[in-house]
Amino acid sequence: MAPLRRWGPVATLVVLAVLPWGLARHQLSLLTDLLIFSLFALSLDLIMGYTGMVSFGHAAYFGLGAYGSALLLIHFEVPIPIALLGGALGAGLVAWPVGYISTRATGIYFAMLTLAFAQLLYTLAYKWRALTGGSDGIAGVPKTALWWGGPSLVEPRAFYFLILVSFLVAFVLCRALVRSPFGRALQAIRENERKFATLGQDPRRFKVIVFVIAAALAGLAGALSAPFRGFASPEAMFWLLSGQALMMVIIGGIGTLVGPAIGAMVFVLVQEVLSSYTEHWMLFTGAIFVLMVIFLPGGIVGAARRRFAA
Amino acid sequence: MPPILETRRLDRAFGALRAVADVSLVVERGELRAIIGPNGAGKTTFFHLLSGVVRPTAGQVLLKDEDVSGLSAAARCRRGMSRTFQITSLFPELSVLENVRIAIQAKRGGNTRLLGGRALLARTEAGAREALGFVNLEDRAAVPASTLPHGDQRLLEIAMALAQEPDLLLLDEPTQGLGVEETAATAALVQRISRERRLTILLVEHDMDVVFNVADRISVLHFGRLIAEGSPAEIRRNVEVQQAYLGDMD
Repeated sequence: MAPLRRWGPVATLVVLAVLPWGLARHQLSLLTDLLIFSLFALSLDLIMGYTGMVSFGHAAYFGLGAYGSALLLIHFEVPIPIALLGGALGAGLVAWPVGYISTRATGIYFAMLTLAFAQLLYTLAYKWRALTGGSDGIAGVPKTALWWGGPSLVEPRAFYFLILVSFLVAFVLCRALVRSPFGRALQAIRENERKFATLGQDPRRFKVIVFVIAAALAGLAGALSAPFRGFASPEAMFWLLSGQALMMVIIGGIGTLVGPAIGAMVFVLVQEVLSSYTEHWMLFTGAIFVLMVIFLPGGIVGAARRRFAA
Repeated sequence: MPPILETRRLDRAFGALRAVADVSLVVERGELRAIIGPNGAGKTTFFHLLSGVVRPTAGQVLLKDEDVSGLSAAARCRRGMSRTFQITSLFPELSVLENVRIAIQAKRGGNTRLLGGRALLARTEAGAREALGFVNLEDRAAVPASTLPHGDQRLLEIAMALAQEPDLLLLDEPTQGLGVEETAATAALVQRISRERRLTILLVEHDMDVVFNVADRISVLHFGRLIAEGSPAEIRRNVEVQQAYLGDMD
């Protein structure tokens, strides 16, 4: 375990940094997509794995981030970092009241509230044609530059590295967060919310804060996806994506940060491969998911830890 | 100096059942007070009313002369009242040390530090180790709380409350589920806390040996009412108390 602990991250980084030169264009594009979903799943793990809040509406914030950055890029042609910041902040801002209201409930009721709010936002995106383009979405989102007048990021490798760096920053941030006093308090709330309350602090405050942080990071993932794919559409906010995010987190290993990132990659890759063979790929991903939950409790990372610890 | 804790005509009904009925009592600073009563006497409900887990239907709870009846459990804890639960209540997957640290940071603030906080963590760790040392759990600091034997889990919960440096400590049946030796050790610990820390302790306890050995004063609840109060010797002689307990046996 120790050598894997130490060299695993370094090796992964080297591979991720070198890969773009060894991959065909469509492969690089797939890898970029994987990183976006990794970031998305990572953000869900903060609330789901570390705080015990299962959200069925996490896609809403991915979608909000996507629309936010798409609008900023199309209408104002701002540099990419500003679009990313805008998307993340927008998602976090909307998540605040949603989190405030949803955390009045716990467990399945919390999940249902987050789902209801997400579907509400989805409907809004679908109907508000003037702003969002309705079901067509917003197309032609440009890949602008890193700063005003800087070179554009249209080159696939350049955009890949933008996303890789964004992912790494988010990952390091999340790791620092879960190890901070705040992060430990979150885990205490997950373990025993009533006890936490009798120790002198209102758990809801913590839950709202982490909900907003997770939403902002999901928003960042969405904000990256819009210029990468060139469009933002209401599908990005649909409950299907929220459900898939839950699956990514569970497959990878809930409450491990690195697990959900891996789980997202596995999920999207399997989907990619299967869908090239059959249109019934959902049936197979579903079956794989069921098998993994039964035979790999704790997900991929949980299984790896058990194996190396033994 | 005002009493540390006072209840005025405290009442709690669950439907038609008056679990706690018209209870007025005063606990002075430094006292080790036991609350006893036959099963279903309303002891646990009374404790929940004091700590804010359950709200009263009527009456008041005063902590250091301040009416805290409308305050949440969290707010009462911040004002100096720490409690343990009858059924051990911990953060099972977190380490023993972490359990105590969360308790300290919840009281003193610091749990909201988002990033870093290394100095803060080190500071609270010292306090946490001190509290663990007091209950002899220091060498188990690193293991998850769930792996401790039952008796040690109960001690850990006491350590968490102690680490908060409260003015008033509420212990809800600390010997619940313990063997004979552990029970004696816990009784000794409660006395040590009372003497060495000069802490006011309110104790709900089933084990009569423990109660009569450690308590300065005893209050007896029966069907939600306060039927007697006095020194252990007085309570032992009290006819009404004897009847309450004997009546419970048939």
